[in-house]
Amino acid sequence: MMRLTGGLLLVGLALGAVPVSAGDGVPLPTPARGKGTQCVEPTDTMRRYHMDYLLHQRDETVHRGIRGTKYALKDCVECHATPDPRPEVRALTLYGFCKECHDYAAVSIDCFGCHTPVSASSEGGSQ
Amino acid sequence: MSLLTVLYVLLFYAAAVIFVVGLGRKIWQFATVPAPLKIPTTPAPTTRGGVALRIAREVALFESLFKSNRWIWVFAVLFHAGLLLVVVRHLRYFTEPVWGVVTLAQPFGIYGGMAMVVGLLGLWARRAVVDRVRYISSPSDHLMLALLVAIGATGLGMKYVLHTDIVQIKAFTLGLLYFDWRPLPGDPLLLLHLGLVALLMIVFPFSKLLHAPGVFFSPSRNMVDNPRETRHVAPWAAPLDAARDR
Repeated sequence: MMRLTGGLLLVGLALGAVPVSAGDGVPLPTPARGKGTQCVEPTDTMRRYHMDYLLHQRDETVHRGIRGTKYALKDCVECHATPDPRPEVRALTLYGFCKECHDYAAVSIDCFGCHTPVSASSEGGSQ
Repeated sequence: MSLLTVLYVLLFYAAAVIFVVGLGRKIWQFATVPAPLKIPTTPAPTTRGGVALRIAREVALFESLFKSNRWIWVFAVLFHAGLLLVVVRHLRYFTEPVWGVVTLAQPFGIYGGMAMVVGLLGLWARRAVVDRVRYISSPSDHLMLALLVAIGATGLGMKYVLHTDIVQIKAFTLGLLYFDWRPLPGDPLLLLHLGLVALLMIVFPFSKLLHAPGVFFSPSRNMVDNPRETRHVAPWAAPLDAARDR
């Protein structure tokens, strides 16, 4: 037990000696910035609950025909579509926004099996 | 950096040191403690390869439990196999880029979490319902199950009820590995989950959970059944033997 305590003390001292911002830096996702300054909910809430809002809205729309509420995938695309980072795709898409964090956290997205991630404003041949 | 982040960073470094050093000491003890007698539980393999296979079956399939008690085996497999899937799912927080297999295993990790909790509740019910098991159950038996159930429940709670910012969590865990500390989100379920996991790491080297490394050192499982072909002499007994023969 004495030896264990001694070892802990040593590690504690070593930790204290390491500067707070040591290391090469943690890899972080860099999602593209959307339009405007504020999403439909505060950023912290959107980061945690956007999937629930979209899933709930899907049920509202598909089963009960309710449209035009606060949460709509179409509106996600309108604000968050940016020029696609892949050179062969010349359109405004959600690729640069959703994929960054979803790849980082290994969460697959099934929205775009049916819906388009391409912004309507990119279809007029502006690209 | 907030006080909360600093506290959890220190907690996890301390827990990791206690876990690694404590487990290392324990494994060293298991490996060096004398095993003076040849006591494989028969029928036992008569070759080293056979013994390796026997231990592999014991570790992967819980063979001896299967032979002795089927319903306990079912709950034990539910818990351990579930835990394995959960661990694979959690690898996404420790690797960047995330490995392909880990990405594919994500949904199975959720079912693993449910199986794990069901298995634990079954094993806990055993301690309450089976008279002779209740009689020999000590507080640590119950507390260990409670700890694991609480870890599973808080994890599932974050998946299904109160979400947290998993991108920020991954930055935090990678930060621990890179020594580049990132803020920890302050969601209560997350703090509870991580605190309990740190507690698990700290108590692991002093608890019944040592059956994990211990199963490999169990003399009744890891010995070759060849007492007539080869005389078994424990290392500490060899000098005594040599002195007598002289």
